[in-house]
Amino acid sequence: MSYTLRGRVESRLASALIVVAAACALALAEHRWWPVEAAGLMLGVGLALDVLAYDRLLPYQPGWAALPLGLLELGLVILFMRVAGVEAPLSQAVALFAAGWIVAQILGHAAFPIMRLGYAEEGGELGSGGTVAALSLGALLAAAGATAYALRPPVIHLAAGVHQGPLVITHREVLVGAPGAVVRGGIVVRANGVTVKNVSVVGGENGITVERVHGTVLDGVSVSGPRLDGIHVRLAGVVIKNCRVDMLGNTLGQGIDISYNMDMGMSMVEGCTITGGMEGITTHSSMSDIMGNSVSRTTMRGISVTEMSMGTVMDNEVRDARGIGIWCNDRSMCMIERNTVLDTRPDAMGHAFGVLASFQSEANLWKNELAANPVASAAITQSEVQSGRSFSYR
Amino acid sequence: MRVAVVGSGLASFTAYQTLRRELEPEEIAVFGLDDDPAATFRRHAAAIRQREMRSESDGHCLPTTFPGLAFRSAVARRSPAPLAGTLLDRFHPTVGEFLSHVERLRGRSGWERSFHRARIERVRAVDGGFELDEHGTFRHVLVATGHPGLNVPDELRADARAVHSYEPHDYASTVTVVGAGLAAATEWVNALAAGAEVISVRRREPARQQLNVPREYFSRRGLAGFHRLPPQGRAGRLTALLAPSYPPGRRWDEPLARAEMEGRFRVEASVNGTEQVICATGFLRGFEHDPLLARLVGEHGLETFDGWIVLAPDATVPGLSDATRTLALGGVSAQWAFPASDTLAGARFVAHRFLDRIRSCRTR
Repeated sequence: MSYTLRGRVESRLASALIVVAAACALALAEHRWWPVEAAGLMLGVGLALDVLAYDRLLPYQPGWAALPLGLLELGLVILFMRVAGVEAPLSQAVALFAAGWIVAQILGHAAFPIMRLGYAEEGGELGSGGTVAALSLGALLAAAGATAYALRPPVIHLAAGVHQGPLVITHREVLVGAPGAVVRGGIVVRANGVTVKNVSVVGGENGITVERVHGTVLDGVSVSGPRLDGIHVRLAGVVIKNCRVDMLGNTLGQGIDISYNMDMGMSMVEGCTITGGMEGITTHSSMSDIMGNSVSRTTMRGISVTEMSMGTVMDNEVRDARGIGIWCNDRSMCMIERNTVLDTRPDAMGHAFGVLASFQSEANLWKNELAANPVASAAITQSEVQSGRSFSYR
Repeated sequence: MRVAVVGSGLASFTAYQTLRRELEPEEIAVFGLDDDPAATFRRHAAAIRQREMRSESDGHCLPTTFPGLAFRSAVARRSPAPLAGTLLDRFHPTVGEFLSHVERLRGRSGWERSFHRARIERVRAVDGGFELDEHGTFRHVLVATGHPGLNVPDELRADARAVHSYEPHDYASTVTVVGAGLAAATEWVNALAAGAEVISVRRREPARQQLNVPREYFSRRGLAGFHRLPPQGRAGRLTALLAPSYPPGRRWDEPLARAEMEGRFRVEASVNGTEQVICATGFLRGFEHDPLLARLVGEHGLETFDGWIVLAPDATVPGLSDATRTLALGGVSAQWAFPASDTLAGARFVAHRFLDRIRSCRTR
């Protein structure tokens, strides 16, 4: 078909109407905004390509071109989602895009020509229908935006000074600490969609406990002196970033322990500094990305991915661990890339590995710095260490 | 009755299908000499032994492009191949499929109820519409009388060896084919297949393009610029667009290349002493060859340019069409509005706009 620019835009808007409406419904059902954000990005990318590229480069667009152009748009949408920080599950985002693409094809090839006699001759223009579609889409996006604004979680500001805990959060909220805000006795998250930002926690049974909830974000928190774990996550999906966990003096607790959340999607630990504790970061039966962290002076392993966990351990620095710097254990699958492991001390058996895969685990190593350890890497008990990159998120 | 269609060929038939979305058969009068809308096409296709349409999936007579013939063919053949073909612009319905489609539509659309066997010789603008001979006055009239006749070069008119490609013929052992369009290409291939030695006489090298005109001229994308051209520019553009062409592809190239290697196909500058001369030179061009249109122009002082009647972008005749009545041209006579107006897509373009005029008419 030979589209006019107006025809392309009107057809795009009218097709997007259904997808955006579906995304809004999905967002309401899931209580998450990524579908609307993703649909908005799809629309934006499509319109930009229509105006800047397709109209100039494609005086005639054969039917088959819809496929490569769709893949191009999908790639750009995913790229912009990452850049814009839209936290969408990749498979669901791709499914939403695919649904939108199929709807657009059906509308463009069948429905629009049936509804409007001169659709093809008029280069895809929809006349007053195009205007109505544009206005409807604008209204829908505005309503979604207004709803998102109205439903934003309340922001609770924690003033500077010491607040006696444990602080138990039972509603969706954003807790933002002012500089110098300290909670003594720990924080317990018991609601979905909670964000804790820039708060220091001192003491407590665990520094921060997240249990049986999803959508928790811990950003810029610092933890010191807990009796058990620094950050303790059970059956919950979390994003932990830019944190500091001081476990010096605590020989049995873990710095960050994320366990039994395999069904909660990917969790993430990024940009944290953990000092001391038995293990710096540990995951059990979890899908987690552990990236760009610094772990040092642990009484056992630096980072362990164990008990049928899956995940990526990337760009971390592990220093002065005992026995094993990075451990992939118990039928786990680990992508271990670009990490630096230094000065691993021998354990009670006299072993010291930079990376160890054990008990039927698979570790894929790529570009790690492991030389400054008694044994750089090893695989034992039916495990496998492979060198070379099989995939990467970056 | 308030709407009349003059002519009963495929352009009229396509317009009729569109009109039927809004009007009953009793509200439309179709005037023509043959109640079979595909009669002329069938005769021409049979003469050149055409098996496949040049048009694609949307080369049909229905008012909407979807479902096209590829979709129907896929359903009929229980195969996705036609749909895959149309995605790649490689689907061309067979002549048989197209004729069956016309026959089905003819049976169910009420065409016979609207058809009046009569040759209209005069269209005259009168108060409240247009008078068609003694058949009455109609508020909205579409004239689609088709090509005015076969074009045979003057120098071959008296040549006993000459036959027009659209007239029934067999092949002699040596054949000259004059022309360079799709009919000529079809004749080259068919004559070679019949064992003839073929000489192609052509004034210019044919363009190789899938459809009669570049695809953007089938939509507003190409038409908007075309409609903005001044008369001289538009006539020049039409001459360029309508130059002889036939589709690219091995189907044409391979037999010609093989025959060329065998010394059975060559290009020459002029007709020589072959046993048979086939004039694949298309149709007479220009309104003056059509008595009805020539009279219409003469009696109403219509603007013309280089053989074309000057039309509005919606294929209506300016000066004779207003808010209360419409005179539009369809088929080949509408090239001033739509360069590929002698195609089925062109017929549909004119039909859509004709229906728009009827819908918007205050006194419909």
